[in-house]
Amino acid sequence: MSLNRIKIESLARVEGHGGITVNFKDGKLSKVTVDIYEGPRLLETIAVGRIPSEVVSLTCRICAICTISHRYASLRAMEKALEIEIPPKVHLMRELMHCGEMIESNALHVFLLALPDYLGYPSAVHMVPDHAEDVQAGLRVKKFGVKLMELTSARPIHGENPVIGGFGKYPSKAELLRFKYEAESLIPDAERGVEILRNLRQPTYMEEGMTFMCIKPEHDRYGWVGDRILVSTGEEFNAWDYRKLTNERVVPHSMAKRSRFQDKPYFVGALARFNLLGERLDGAAGEHFRRCYNLSWIRNPMYNNVAQAIEIVWALEEVPRIVDKLVAYEEDPEIVAPSRDRGAGSAAVEAPRGTLYHHYEIADGKVIHADIVTPTAQFLDMMEEHIRVAAENLVKEGDTEGVELKLEMIARAYDPCISCATHLVKVRGLDK
Amino acid sequence: MAEIPKPKVGFYGFTGCAGDLLTILHCEDELLDIFNAVDIRSFLMASSDVHDDEELDIAFVEGSITTDHQLESLKGIRKRSKVLVAIGSCACFGGPQAARLGCGDWEERFKKVYGEVKHTIARPRESYPLDEYVKVDYCIPGCPIDKHQFFFALTRLAKGMPVELTTFPVCAECKWNENECLLLKGELCLGPVTAGGCNSRCPNHGLPCIGCWGPTKEANVASEISLLKERNFSSEEIVNKLRLFGGAAMVRRFADLLGIKTEEPAGKPRQKKVRKPVAAGKAKKKTASKSPKAKSGRKR
Repeated sequence: MSLNRIKIESLARVEGHGGITVNFKDGKLSKVTVDIYEGPRLLETIAVGRIPSEVVSLTCRICAICTISHRYASLRAMEKALEIEIPPKVHLMRELMHCGEMIESNALHVFLLALPDYLGYPSAVHMVPDHAEDVQAGLRVKKFGVKLMELTSARPIHGENPVIGGFGKYPSKAELLRFKYEAESLIPDAERGVEILRNLRQPTYMEEGMTFMCIKPEHDRYGWVGDRILVSTGEEFNAWDYRKLTNERVVPHSMAKRSRFQDKPYFVGALARFNLLGERLDGAAGEHFRRCYNLSWIRNPMYNNVAQAIEIVWALEEVPRIVDKLVAYEEDPEIVAPSRDRGAGSAAVEAPRGTLYHHYEIADGKVIHADIVTPTAQFLDMMEEHIRVAAENLVKEGDTEGVELKLEMIARAYDPCISCATHLVKVRGLDK
Repeated sequence: MAEIPKPKVGFYGFTGCAGDLLTILHCEDELLDIFNAVDIRSFLMASSDVHDDEELDIAFVEGSITTDHQLESLKGIRKRSKVLVAIGSCACFGGPQAARLGCGDWEERFKKVYGEVKHTIARPRESYPLDEYVKVDYCIPGCPIDKHQFFFALTRLAKGMPVELTTFPVCAECKWNENECLLLKGELCLGPVTAGGCNSRCPNHGLPCIGCWGPTKEANVASEISLLKERNFSSEEIVNKLRLFGGAAMVRRFADLLGIKTEEPAGKPRQKKVRKPVAAGKAKKKTASKSPKAKSGRKR
């Protein structure tokens, strides 16, 4: 067949608006672009001239699915800039809210957005007649994640309870314990997702070696927060040197900026975390990891779906551990006030779809510079590369039937968050 | 009895965080019922089963308009839909990305972000709410929307009934929740002027209202400003707070109070006047709550 162009105008079941274009010339693949048409918001320019608390409320609005990760990263960056030391209970509460988001986002992606592809349905709702139990299990897990976000942050999306220096209000012991027991009861539902994915054959036509990056947790367990970044090349960087890792640039076909490390595309997300930190996974999650892991995980982005499913199990096991520590604190700490009104701070947290960086500079109590680098913007180049390899292989083998879906599946495996990716900005000293 | 056809519904998203559509996806207990009660013809975020050339009974649209391409899509949706409902602060007011509307610095800010690269995919423009360009039948405010208000609107509209949305401010809900008044404690709280319906979540947690649902219909912004000034907040602090989520509503309704000099031209690419003459000069009517008489007797 003669094929000049494969164009997927609108990627479905992803957050935000993007498409894929694959161009052929004389029967050979000439160019692949992941097009991001999401409209620009210039949010960091809105941040300039505002007080830090407003900027925390603003930057979490970059994305609804990763609102907690954005808030967490901005709180950490602001607290570094303003020299605020937070008490241990605040730290635990933040870990708990982060678990909520990981459970919510991963469950949404694994059960409702990715699984329909493997089983041949246009959506999870269409799966219900044949796979009601699987969909219900996914919905139960996701609902718990959403409720945990609401408990800790005051709202399922864009909750304002986590503030610079602490929390407005803490949940009661009784509420916390209820969440602990519910988390324990949901582990079989989460394991159901792992089992489904483990038994599915992953396509291999896009396989290609990758560079991975993720945060190195401050302790020796698995985790999502820290000030050092691990790279699969064996190198380690400070989070505040993130620009050396991300090297952003603007491209014409995308409202999202693009990143490369040492001039190569790289992968961030659950698959990167598991490739770099998988040995640290404990409990049932650790067992699932060891059962599922194989050498394709370093070449095949589809395993990101499996990694996310296992990560849900880990988060559900982590919730009781955090709750047990939280309920030991009798007093709710006061919100810690800043010790200065100027400074600079960068912080990284793992969002469900990869490492997220926030950087702020503050003078006279106002933000003068904001820089945010999101995971999707970092992995778009890697995604383009995998789609290119897949298109080449599929065309070479004459296997072009349903090629659009096959390419879309690769894009979805990355769990892109296009709204996030579109708001990358560097602005300095904008005059009011 | 003949079976009544299910209303055809489409869900669309433009520029924003996708939080309003996600709020709908977060209705785990009701999600499957919603998908069964109406005939969903488009919900790209949830399903690849999309039919985007059909007539719709109801279109729910989130996000603000920030590219020419989006503007064209919006006009298309309007043409195909009997009822168009804006959901969320971005669709209703332009969102936080419209916090500098009227400052005339959009182009300069765009260049600071993207440099001189000419984008081939979408001609960008400054953020405006939907009703800047098309007739909007209802605005469900929120950042994000509250799912109960959404259900209420969906069930009423599905039966061809008008929708009455919350008309009271956050301050009223806060009183019902018996919270200690944060204004009296000297905090910069926007509860008195902000659309209610969130159950005063922030004040319930001892935190001041940040105004993320935009101004309520009868917002007395003048009184709020003088009250805050009595408590020694500067004009700049107050204006910044009001404008963070107030977007076009602040420019259209309170420009004088907030010292916003000009409504035009906020980003140059803005076309003459796309909105219909009926809507012109009636910008004030666009508020958190709509008069129920706006819709009457829509029948299938």
